[in-house]
Amino acid sequence: MRRIAILAGIWALLTLAPFWLPLVGGYTTLGTRVLVLGLAAMALNYLLGYTGVLSFGHAAYVGLGAYGAAMSIKFLGMGALQAIAIGTLLGALAAVAIGPLIVRLRGIYFSMCTIAFGQVFYFIAFRWNTVTGGDDGLGGWKRPALEFAGYKLDLLTNDVAYYYVALFFFALAVGGMGLLLASPLGRVQLSIRENERRARFLGIPIERHILLSWVVSCLVASLAGALYALLNNFADPRILRWDFSGDLVIMAVLGGMRSFWGPLLGAAIFVVLQDYLSSVTENWMSFIGLFFVLVVMFFPRGVLGILKRAR
Amino acid sequence: MSLLKIEGLTKSFGSLMAVLDVSLDVAEGELHAVIGPNGAGKTTAFNLISGMLDPTRGSIQFAGHDITRLSPNERVRKGIARTFQITEIFPELTVVENLRISVEVAAGYRMRPWLSRAQTAQVKERVEQLAQRVGLTAKGGRLVGELSHGDQRAVEIGLALALRPKLLLLDEPTAGMGDQETEDITALMHRLHREEKLTIVLIEHDMPLVFKVADRITVLAQGQVLAGGTPAEIASNAAVQAAYLGQAE
Amino acid sequence: MTQLILFNVTNGLIVGAFYALMALGLSLILNLSGIINFSHGGFLTLGGYLAYSLSLSMGFWGALLLAPLLVAALGIAVEAGLIRRLYGKDPLYSLLLTFGMALMFEDLTRFTWGASAKPFVIPEALAKPLTQQFFFLTGYRVFMVAIVLLAVAALFLVLRFTRLGIRIRAGTLDLETVSALGINVRALRSLNFGMGIFMAGLAGVLAAGMLGLQPTMGNALIMPSFIAIIVGGIGSLPGTLFGGLLIGVAQGITTVFYPSASEAIIYIMMGLVLLVRPRGLFGEEGRQ
Repeated sequence: MRRIAILAGIWALLTLAPFWLPLVGGYTTLGTRVLVLGLAAMALNYLLGYTGVLSFGHAAYVGLGAYGAAMSIKFLGMGALQAIAIGTLLGALAAVAIGPLIVRLRGIYFSMCTIAFGQVFYFIAFRWNTVTGGDDGLGGWKRPALEFAGYKLDLLTNDVAYYYVALFFFALAVGGMGLLLASPLGRVQLSIRENERRARFLGIPIERHILLSWVVSCLVASLAGALYALLNNFADPRILRWDFSGDLVIMAVLGGMRSFWGPLLGAAIFVVLQDYLSSVTENWMSFIGLFFVLVVMFFPRGVLGILKRAR
Repeated sequence: MSLLKIEGLTKSFGSLMAVLDVSLDVAEGELHAVIGPNGAGKTTAFNLISGMLDPTRGSIQFAGHDITRLSPNERVRKGIARTFQITEIFPELTVVENLRISVEVAAGYRMRPWLSRAQTAQVKERVEQLAQRVGLTAKGGRLVGELSHGDQRAVEIGLALALRPKLLLLDEPTAGMGDQETEDITALMHRLHREEKLTIVLIEHDMPLVFKVADRITVLAQGQVLAGGTPAEIASNAAVQAAYLGQAE
Repeated sequence: MTQLILFNVTNGLIVGAFYALMALGLSLILNLSGIINFSHGGFLTLGGYLAYSLSLSMGFWGALLLAPLLVAALGIAVEAGLIRRLYGKDPLYSLLLTFGMALMFEDLTRFTWGASAKPFVIPEALAKPLTQQFFFLTGYRVFMVAIVLLAVAALFLVLRFTRLGIRIRAGTLDLETVSALGINVRALRSLNFGMGIFMAGLAGVLAAGMLGLQPTMGNALIMPSFIAIIVGGIGSLPGTLFGGLLIGVAQGITTVFYPSASEAIIYIMMGLVLLVRPRGLFGEEGRQ
């Protein structure tokens, strides 16, 4: 009962965000940003908190989603829905290609490879600058209208409308992940996190399941990336960099890795913090770094982790 | 009928012979104990049987199939389940959640994104059955990590039983347990063996226990088979007494 | 054509030696403490910049000697103060910690020394090319390789013959037993970390002389180190050394035929190694 009440509360907050955000000094686009980055962090946590696997290169998939969407709009003139689909597909394909190479590895070695593979795409975006815009990112296009069954919704001038589009995809993805986690498949994933050896000796083919989680996680991350690009009318190469991967991890940890909604909370805190710091000081990067250190040393269970314990 | 047949099993780590030319026969429905001093290669033998290690030489036959080259999870699916010296369970989940995972995997549901009402009910019933079998019905909602050592061991056996194994490998199930807990586990083993006719291979150091429950005993020393036979035969075997039993008491 | 290949292969070996130096430090820390030191690049950068500042008062040679030592001392302080507390925990946390430190280092460097690139002056004697025929072999490049060889040789000698080295190697295989033998594992890990950071700092000074100074230099160079370890083999120091040299040479050769692919080649090699031999060329059997 309690769980349903909390869930209803969360969805109410999310659905009504464009209305209460301005009341607390925020604005709709900020809400969309938190939503999209939160989705990316939740995607990462599907792997990290629920399968026990640390990918430190998830930025690559977010980036692929973003660039895929951006390129399909700029060069192929696609509408919003198609762009989002293409971006998501691009990231998913990359995940399917890379996954089999790394699932045979374990622990920190797996993480190292995810970092390295993450950099590959940053590097490609950088080098292929005729297409990707290199260091400047891929701009020069605008958020297209949403065309569906003859109905056309202008998204460019209407921030609120775009928020709801993002929320729609957010709901799809989050709903999907939630369903999976509550299923036998999800419980097997959990068992891998809890005790890999025991899982193996129950007859579970570990690598196959990790691969499955990997693909789901990267697919949702790419979706978030596509949504992010459309939010900014721009594909930012910085989201392909190693520091963005770290940002995603810290969002998950900060909010609470063992909780489903934790990463969204973590994203909210992080985005607000980063915005504030960068407006106040030029050295915001050091403070973010310091923040990482503090969270790790004093807050490893995250906000929701602490709340859970207190109950 | 021989369920498990090991022939000339050898495992070397460089120049170290952990297991040397071990042969062993376990009949269906038998409770076979493997005993020997520390470092005799007992756990290594289990690791070889369950697929954690590849043998240097020798073969393992199970239910008529050659399983020497199979991976651990393939062997589990053939019907071999094991427990470990250091209990391997899912610590941050409850007893019921632990058993549920094993039941679902055994039922072939591990890839399913959802279950029908009927299937969920079936799983629930089976979990309850298992909890009862290992005596943990009252503690179903407790986190396994917080349970006593004996109860954790019972959960682990429950996980293994959920797989409906043909062969159960128990690695020192009573290690580090007090008298009451040892009695409980012994009673459980007895039930599984006598009432359910489960084939069990047991590594143990607790001699009274071994002599009470075992149908046959194999004695390992320094990686090799020293003797094999019924408890009476082993008890009267001079070599075994000299090498092991004399020291153990 | 042969001269071009020779040029690039030699260059590749030089660059490879440099990658190896960085990667070895990283590998040392990884093997004993199980930590991916994301701030390795940061220490490299710091080493370069410190050498720059020191060189203003004590010249090139003084800086070369002192900067890595200072950086190593800082490394040990960080390890003892922060990293040590995370040893028993999920490797996630140490990765995040070193990651946060990497961010701090980059920004603090920018703050202290400015964001623009700085030149690092090397002694006249080293800057001249050695021969006219092999014009590309400046004294500095040869010097750099010599220093790397010296450092690598010293590392292997320490590991092979000193008590500290033997303990580190034993600890890499079985830290529990080493601890049970009464050896101070804390001090061992700190010293090991210091050694790894020393190598990063040294690499920083050398890089400064070759490429000049930039706040982002360390983080740009950390990727080839990762790849050197992945290619050469997890848990193997000779493997890491080989890996570094191999990717350097591969880059060199690729520059001759497909110049634009020369940076990509190291990633392609990584992909190939993972496909064919996941534990790396000299890597140990998978740890389950």
